Order: sequence, then structure tokens, then C-alpha cells
Amino acid sequence: MNSLAQHWWKILGVLILIYVLIRGFMTPLHSGILEFSPSQAYSDTSFTIDIKAYNTHFNEQENRVWLRLPNDSLLKARQTQVQSPVNITADFDIPGDIDFEGKKSIVASIIVDNKEDGYALYPDGVRIKRDTISARGLQADRYPLSVLYQSDKFAFPFRNIIYETIRNTFFHVAIWFAMFALMIYSCFCSLMYLRTKDFDYDMKSKSLTTIGIWFGIAGILTGSMWAKYTWGTFWTADVKLNMSAVAILIYFAYWVLRASIPDVDNRARIASVYNIFAFGSLMVLVMVVPRLTDSLHPGNGGNPAFGGEDLDNTLRTVFYPAIIAYTLIGLWMSQLFYRYLKLENKWLLEE
Amino acid sequence: MLISRILNIIHKDWVVERRGNNAFLASLLYLTAIVFVLYKVLGDVSAPVRVGLFWIIMLFTGINLIAQSFSHSGLKRKIIHYQLYKPLDYIVAKLIVNWVKLLIMGFMLMGLQLLLTNTVVKDTTLFLQTFGLASIGIVAVLTFVASISIYSNNQNGLVTILALPLLVPILLLSMRLSLIAERMFVDSATDNYLLLLLGINLLLITLITILFPIVWKS
Repeated sequence: MNSLAQHWWKILGVLILIYVLIRGFMTPLHSGILEFSPSQAYSDTSFTIDIKAYNTHFNEQENRVWLRLPNDSLLKARQTQVQSPVNITADFDIPGDIDFEGKKSIVASIIVDNKEDGYALYPDGVRIKRDTISARGLQADRYPLSVLYQSDKFAFPFRNIIYETIRNTFFHVAIWFAMFALMIYSCFCSLMYLRTKDFDYDMKSKSLTTIGIWFGIAGILTGSMWAKYTWGTFWTADVKLNMSAVAILIYFAYWVLRASIPDVDNRARIASVYNIFAFGSLMVLVMVVPRLTDSLHPGNGGNPAFGGEDLDNTLRTVFYPAIIAYTLIGLWMSQLFYRYLKLENKWLLEE
Repeated sequence: MLISRILNIIHKDWVVERRGNNAFLASLLYLTAIVFVLYKVLGDVSAPVRVGLFWIIMLFTGINLIAQSFSHSGLKRKIIHYQLYKPLDYIVAKLIVNWVKLLIMGFMLMGLQLLLTNTVVKDTTLFLQTFGLASIGIVAVLTFVASISIYSNNQNGLVTILALPLLVPILLLSMRLSLIAERMFVDSATDNYLLLLLGINLLLITLITILFPIVWKS
């Protein structure tokens, strides 16, 4: 029982990580619209659109296709033909009495829904232009938004461009959060070393920083892969990317600094001082500077990172446990490294 | 009292500088030589290149100058300093001395660029504001790193490794501000950037004044 009391947090970390991996990879993505053609229509004419969707079951259900007009009313498709589970063709009668609000054209969103998948939406996809020649006088009913089917399945949100890579939130973002937790603890250990001159604190701080740097590298690698699939390149001139690279360089310098001071006491003192300094710079670099300039990253250039748009409740059920899991596992790794350092120290003293 | 003590240290520093190895004059010569070489090699340079060159030359002459600001005080002198001065006075005096040196270098560099390219920065006020604020940050980082690196084996290499990443945000900001000053692009957030530079300076100086007394005891 004693050992359980000592090691429960490691077991917890592993269990949560297993949960994160299973839940993060097994949960399907919500249905969504990948592409469609054409993207232009004229008022008072008939209009046929081919839609390619993702994660839908068109052949098993009765499907409805809608155009959502700017005043939040829905136009229903006259008829739909299912080509495959993910392909559907819809015919619309675009009425002549659309409210153009004095403009030449309006933009409508495309919505596909059925009972099983709920509704999938492509925002502002089709531009409807005012046709001044046609005089067919087509009429169509308008429906309120409440007629759409909601899906109660547990699924991750579908986002254009990101698609399945949304699961990287549990790795890239969570690992960086865990890194921050480790760095804060390491900074605290450095402070405690300077106050107490207890050598254990210095070793703790070194091990935490080392594992923190590895987490930082892992975060950059996963982020780089994510950038390849969403932005098209492994590395862009984005502020946040550059700043995090610089932050990692600052911590690399911490390793070099430790290695270049021969005297043990001096090394511990100087390294602690530098660690506190580096942590202050890390905060400025990663938390402050990117917020003031434009950035592709969510959470910068004025847009919130964890608003309703980016992180919904289904992601939260995996994302928050993921942070806890990586922090616990990071602490475990640094504890192992700390023990190794302690043994090495003992061996050096005996020699 | 504090001011007179600091002035006293600055005076001592000046005396040592004049009697001793004239490191500052050597750095000025280094600056002049490097500017001549660069502009002769590059020939005609455009505005962004000129601004970039300005900051890079500032950076490396700054490293060259400030990296030695603690090293040529030997063990004996260090012990005397330790007995005579309070760490806070000492670091403030060092910061002021280094800042004045860097300012002199900066103005000399501007003069040389004016001489060689015959062009002035379009928005001189903004450029001088940027230079004034950025030089404080550069001096703060370099002085702190130099004080750390006197304990290590390979001093100058370590200063570069430690200082460059810490200097990147300051340099990026001042590069952006100088490009705005050169009218390369329009940005309404100029005041924000200046405030951010000031904020970084305040953070650095606070950290240094807290941490230097710990570094000092050896």
C-alpha cells in the first residue's frame, strides 16, 4: 500500500495518457462539406450543385440540402440525388424575390443534413447574383434554422483546412502546456536553490529544464508537421514560431552554460540565476510578443485561442486530460533524471 | 548618496579605461574598419539592407565591447570591488558606462553611414527613439551575460551563445521600427512597439538588479 501511495500519480499519468490516445484517435470527426461546384448562381433560375462531403452516410438516410441566406432563412432543394455515401447532387429553384439589401449579389452558406449525421455547413460558399433578365417569377418556401437536424453523436468538430489534424491539439498544444508547467516548477526550484543553497534543488531544476527542453522540441516537431498539412510548409516566418525557436535556443544556452563552468558551486548558482532570467524571457517571447503582431497562430493578432470557435466541448474532454497526462509524465521523467544525477553526484563524491 | 557613489564608480572606470588597455578606442577602430569593409564590399545598398547592417554591426560591436567589461578586472581587483562597492551601485554604474559607450558607437556608426551612403533615415525622430530604447536593452542583456560568463572557461564564445537568443526580440522590434522610420511600410502600432521595447527594458533591468548581487558573490 505504501508503494501505491508513492506512485499513484505515475499510474494516473499513464492511465490518462492511454485515455487520451484512445479517445483522441477513436472519436470520429463530425460530418462536413469538403468541396462543391459551381459556386455561383443567379436569382430566379434553377441551379444544380454537386457536393462532396466527409464522414456522411447519404445512402442510408433521407437527405436534405439547404442554402442559408444572409437573413438566416433557409431555401430547401427541390430534389436531391445521392451518388455515394459522400457525394450528393441537389437542384434548387432560386426564387426571384430574394432580398438583396440593395447589393448586386449575396453570399449563401450550403447546408446538408440528415437524421444520423446532423447538419454539415460550408460557410459563405455560393454567391447568388441578381438576374435582371429572367422573368420566370420563381417562388420558394423559406424555413427557419430550427428545422435542421442536430446530431447527438460524440464527434470532434469539422473545420476546413484542418480536417483530421484537429487531433494534433492533444499533442502539439498539450505538450507545450506541459512544458510551461515543467519550466515554472524548474524556475521555482532555482529560486529555492538560491534561497537555501540545497544542492538537491539545483539537480531538480536541471532535470526539469532538460525534460522541458525535450518537450519543447517535441512541441515544435508536432507543430511543424501540423503546419505542413494546414499551411503547406514545415516552417513559416510566423512570429510565434520564430519566438518559440528562440526560446528553445535560450534554453540550449542553459546546457552550454552548465557545461562550461567547472566549479560545482559556481555552476549551480550561475545556472539558477540564468534559469530565472531565461524563464522571464520565455514568458515575454512566447506569451507577449506574438500577441502584438499579426500571426497565423490561433490566439494571436487579436483572435482568442480558446474561444468557442476553436475548442469546443468535445475537444475539451480530451485536451484538458492530455495536459495533465503530459505534465505528470514529464514530472516522472524528470524525477528519473534527477535520481540519475543524484547517483552520479554520489559517485563523484566517493571517488 | 547613491548617485555620488555611482558617479565615483563611473569615474574609477574612466580612469582605468584611460590608463589601461583602451578597449573602448579599440572597439571604435574595429567599428570603423568593419563599416568601411562592408560598404566597400557591398557597394550601393538599399534602405532595408542599410538598416539591417546598422543593427547587425551594432550587435557585434556591442558584444565585442561589453563582453570584456568585466573580464579585464583580475582577481585582486574583483576582491577590492567586492569590499568597496555595493552590488547595486556597481551594476548600475556598469550599465550606465556601457550604455554611454554603446550610444557613442551608435552615433559614430550613423555618422559613418551618412558619410558613406550620403542618405539619412527619413523619420529621424522615430529612429533615434528606437535606437535609444533598443540600446538600453542590448546593454542590459550583454552586461548581464558578461557578468555570468566570467565564471566560464570559454568566455567570449559563451557571451555570444547566451546573448544572441536573448537579444532577438529586441532586434526584431527595433528592425521593424527602423523600417517604419525608413517609410518602408506604414504601421499604426508604432507607439505600441516603442512601449513594448520599454517594457522589455524594464523587465531586463529589474531582473538584473535582483540577480546581479547573487552572481557577484564568488
